[in-house]
Amino acid sequence: MGTTKTGWEGRIATVKIGATPIDGGTRTRTYTLGGDGDLPLLGVGEAAGSVPLVAYDICDDPALWPDLLKSILGDKIHDPAELARRAEHEYGADMIRLNLTSTRRKDSVDTSALKRTIEEVLSATGLPLIIEGSADPVIDSEVFLLCGEVADGENVLLGTAEADRYRSVAAAAVAYHHGVIAQSPIDANLAKQLNILLHEVGVSQDRIVIDPYTGALGYGLEYSYSVMERIRYAALKGDRDLASPMISASPDALNVKEVRVGTLEERSATGCMWEYTTALATIVAGAEVVVVRHPGSVPLLKKAVLGLTADSAGRGE
Amino acid sequence: MALKALDIYKILPKKNCKECGDPTCLTFAMKLASGKGDVTLCPYLDEGARSVLGASTRPPVARAVIGVGGRSLTIGEENVFFRHEKTFVHPPGIFFEVSDTSPDDLILQTTTRVYSEAVTRVGQTLQWSGIAVRCCSGSQSRFADVIAAIEGTGFHLPLVLIADDPVLLEAGLAKCGQFRPLVHAARKTSANAITAIASRYDCPVVVQDPDYSQLLSLSETCAGHGVHEILLDPAPATLRDLLITASRLRSDAIARSHPGAGYPLYVNAGNILGSQAALLLAILKFGGVIVTPPLPTHLALAALTLRQNIFTDPQRPIQMSPGIYRVGNPGPSSPIFLTVNFSLTYFTLEGYLEATGVPCFLFLVDTEGLSVLTAVASGKLNETVIKSAIQKADLEALVSHRTLIIPGYAAQLSGRVEDATGWKVLVGPRDAAEVGEFITREWHA
Repeated sequence: MGTTKTGWEGRIATVKIGATPIDGGTRTRTYTLGGDGDLPLLGVGEAAGSVPLVAYDICDDPALWPDLLKSILGDKIHDPAELARRAEHEYGADMIRLNLTSTRRKDSVDTSALKRTIEEVLSATGLPLIIEGSADPVIDSEVFLLCGEVADGENVLLGTAEADRYRSVAAAAVAYHHGVIAQSPIDANLAKQLNILLHEVGVSQDRIVIDPYTGALGYGLEYSYSVMERIRYAALKGDRDLASPMISASPDALNVKEVRVGTLEERSATGCMWEYTTALATIVAGAEVVVVRHPGSVPLLKKAVLGLTADSAGRGE
Repeated sequence: MALKALDIYKILPKKNCKECGDPTCLTFAMKLASGKGDVTLCPYLDEGARSVLGASTRPPVARAVIGVGGRSLTIGEENVFFRHEKTFVHPPGIFFEVSDTSPDDLILQTTTRVYSEAVTRVGQTLQWSGIAVRCCSGSQSRFADVIAAIEGTGFHLPLVLIADDPVLLEAGLAKCGQFRPLVHAARKTSANAITAIASRYDCPVVVQDPDYSQLLSLSETCAGHGVHEILLDPAPATLRDLLITASRLRSDAIARSHPGAGYPLYVNAGNILGSQAALLLAILKFGGVIVTPPLPTHLALAALTLRQNIFTDPQRPIQMSPGIYRVGNPGPSSPIFLTVNFSLTYFTLEGYLEATGVPCFLFLVDTEGLSVLTAVASGKLNETVIKSAIQKADLEALVSHRTLIIPGYAAQLSGRVEDATGWKVLVGPRDAAEVGEFITREWHA
């Protein structure tokens, strides 16, 4: 049973993201995720957690990106550095998530192109970065080490560790002092197991962010919503292996059937609302970071977060 | 705190007279403990015992019914804080607000929309709940005329009557009181007058006070005046106020720490800074009745879908009926994709199949709503089940080929299915997103 008054035994670990010149990086700001000692957004004073952050999603190869985005973003979809700049200055995002989707092409890895992309995005924006590397075990080691090295000193979040392929990303994170995103398929027990595996290979708790996987609104959102509530509840009850901040991204939110009908304007409006509703629900369920792709989702979510967190002194940085 | 079945049993007469309809006092006690029994069915309890049992065996959040007939709305009867603890019971009613100063045709247009707009998702029909009529004119006759016009449609939609002055509410109730509208609102200064009017029509009443403890004592006052169905309006100004107060109310209701907290929550999203987010937040966090300005199409669809998601019983995933579903206009040479009747699997796969543009059949086998992985692991999906499903659906008459595409996660069944059915089995991808690529590579009919 939930309660907003009595004390909880547990507390969410904090994870620092980004590094300013003082810490050896080039970011213009940093964040400390987590720290909650109460149910999501209900904590006050000492028990207050971090203010939920909105990350904007970009990629280096949009071939598999939603068609809707190709229409909305036009040619700029091929220019991750320009999108990163816009996300910071026009959309108002808090973070950038760079997906190295070019590594999905089955031929060889073009390491110099990957290196150049990461460097360009790092110089285009001062926001802290999340880098999603390879999705293929064969090239994991090469890609993650490259990401870790190129972003050395920037304290990025590297993704994604999964139960059957976590060693490469963990090794890169440990070697270059980055955080790790630990993804499990909508299951609190699997999330816990993966965190334990990551601890065993040397990733400390203050470097782990849980991604419980987010199904889109109408396509499994309720499972993700409840798993996030369970994870947070277990953590507050004292389960340290689940006491990590959470990140939520719903890759399908702009692909669903509802977003494929009507004029471009209608599809864009529905897509934006679909992604916004999905992300807002996960914020309420405990996500410290939400990742979105529709430019319109960013300001809507920022406004909602302000409404959910305003007038509580001492929250966030 | 809620009583346990054995504690309740001690209070019951232990006669096993069956007059309550239950075989024994113990089974009756168990029913009461689970919140499903009605204590008044036992004729041998004295007043004292009845009130002790009544207070502790009713659901933590009391029930309220708004409206009459087929479109009437039942809310409350909630037992948990998190849906994963058991389930949420009644989806919140969403009411579109109209002002009595708006033109008549606009009011009727909104009324017609609320009545007729329906979205079908996963086999369920999702609809708006009713109309909230706000008296902005300050005129008894105008307010009454607008209400009469809405009732004149014959739609019998549940209504919320919103006015500050009891005299205005009385004028409105004169036109629709017999249809049990929700009356908004009894405040500290107007509680006596409002409860007197509402009791006369036996209508549910919203009590409103921005101060938490005042709100709870106000609901107790109204209950004391004989109003049985009450809603609580803490009149939050911000999203944060709404989240904090809604959580506190649900938490206090479950703990039964204050009798005044055990009623459904009323939220006027339009009065909260960020009304779209407030609507969604109220769906997630304990809203019973949510009033909002009429919603634009894209938000409307998202809100109805969110409500359906959150109020899906986590113990019983929504199932599709087993059988054949067509994507596009498939013919005798079109591929057949076999999968489970878990609705989410169906909708995900259907979406990706549609996107491929290749007409095909989706063949759903009854796995009691389990996903592919779970169904294979638990034996709900095996060669015997598939064989009898093929016969039942008369698959052989449907297509000229004899090839079945099964989910990647059911690959281990392929040999046994081929042996049992005589059909050739192709193992499809694990991830529905890859089905397009699969079809172009593997399917040559």
